Amino acid sequence: MMRCTGLAATFVLPSTPRAHPRRVIPQNPVPGNTDHVDPRDRLRAVGRRVTDPAEALAQEVTERAVDLLLNALDLNELISRIDLNALIGRVDLDGVLKKVDVDALLDQVDVNTLLDRVDVNTLLGRVDVNTLLDRVDVNTLLDRVDVNTLLDRVDVNTLLGRVDVNALVGRVDLKPVLDSVDVNDLVQRVDMDALVEKTDLGAVIARSSGGMTTEALDAVRSQAVGLDQFVDRWVHRLLRPKKPWPPAPPALLPVQAEP
Amino acid sequence: MSTLTPRGALVSYQGHYAGSVSRFTAYAIDLTVSTAVFTLALAAISYAVRIVIGQDVTWNRSNAVVAVIFAGWQFVYFAYSWAVSGRSFGMAVLGIRIVHADGTILDPRRAILRALVFPLGFLLFGLGFLGILVQHEHRALYDLIAGTAVIYSWDARAARLRFLARQAEMPEVGNPSPAGARPDPAG
Repeated sequence: MMRCTGLAATFVLPSTPRAHPRRVIPQNPVPGNTDHVDPRDRLRAVGRRVTDPAEALAQEVTERAVDLLLNALDLNELISRIDLNALIGRVDLDGVLKKVDVDALLDQVDVNTLLDRVDVNTLLGRVDVNTLLDRVDVNTLLDRVDVNTLLDRVDVNTLLGRVDVNALVGRVDLKPVLDSVDVNDLVQRVDMDALVEKTDLGAVIARSSGGMTTEALDAVRSQAVGLDQFVDRWVHRLLRPKKPWPPAPPALLPVQAEP
Repeated sequence: MSTLTPRGALVSYQGHYAGSVSRFTAYAIDLTVSTAVFTLALAAISYAVRIVIGQDVTWNRSNAVVAVIFAGWQFVYFAYSWAVSGRSFGMAVLGIRIVHADGTILDPRRAILRALVFPLGFLLFGLGFLGILVQHEHRALYDLIAGTAVIYSWDARAARLRFLARQAEMPEVGNPSPAGARPDPAG
């Protein structure tokens, strides 16, 4: 525009004295007048015309490349190549669990939906359960979990129906578990009378140990003990001892402790 | 009146001091068995003498020699069985045994001492046996001298299981008691 104006000034109006270039740039430019532009703005405008399309093009290429990459990746194959045991071995599970508000986390999870989507048997098949259990302080973890609330939300029957319990139990080392159980105390808590009466155990015992001699001996002994107690009660009534008599010799007293 | 103890307490008597009825019954069995063996032995000797010499030999229990031999046989019978296993045949039938006064296993020397002083029970007009009834550990005079006691030793828990098993196998009708009374085993 300015150049055209200059040419017009040169050829159309020859008689007009030639304008000095300095007149193009006024000494006091008026604000808002577009005829007067800083030359660096031209450079910026040119640069913008070049870089804007290039940036858009680069973004488009990147998005396309990512799409192609994701389509080409087999996530299942990738996950199957991860050594879960090694991964678990490198994680400080106790430390992580201490930092997590387990209850709040579980509240936000739809456990049933989650369990529906997990192939539990495959998952358990890949995990070394004994090593995992060795590293977890189960008591601390359980102290922090409201087990009742959690169990209320789980359909246990469905879950158990999907677990191969035999395979799972076969992989657990039961010896340490059994070592920690006081079997004697456990047996003491069993109601043997009810057990024998409600099961076929009675028939087994009767067939294996029954006999006329044994039965007769049991009868004689029980009658004798009954008569012993009867005589003792009468002796106690006559003598009225101040202190109760010891039931057994000292070395046998602890064995006699009966709940 | 029932002569048996409450059902739940019966299985807890193993190791307790044995009472008078069990001990006297055991002694009665032992006396019967030892006398029978002694009589059979005398009969065998008489038979042998008759075969060898051709003369009949009669044994009179009032004969001093026979009485001494019988006393010696009684000593051997009880001392041997007590020293070997802590109980005689009668005691095994009744499920009782002799132990140290503190409850540990009887050693042979105390068993022999007990057999030696055992006649004191008779020699003092039966007063030697009175301790079985009135002494707080049911120890007779010879027990106090020998430092011994008599306890129930049979496995009452197993006996109770056998009893329950028999009950489970028996039909509902009829009397399940083998002795006509409540048959809970005890020991």
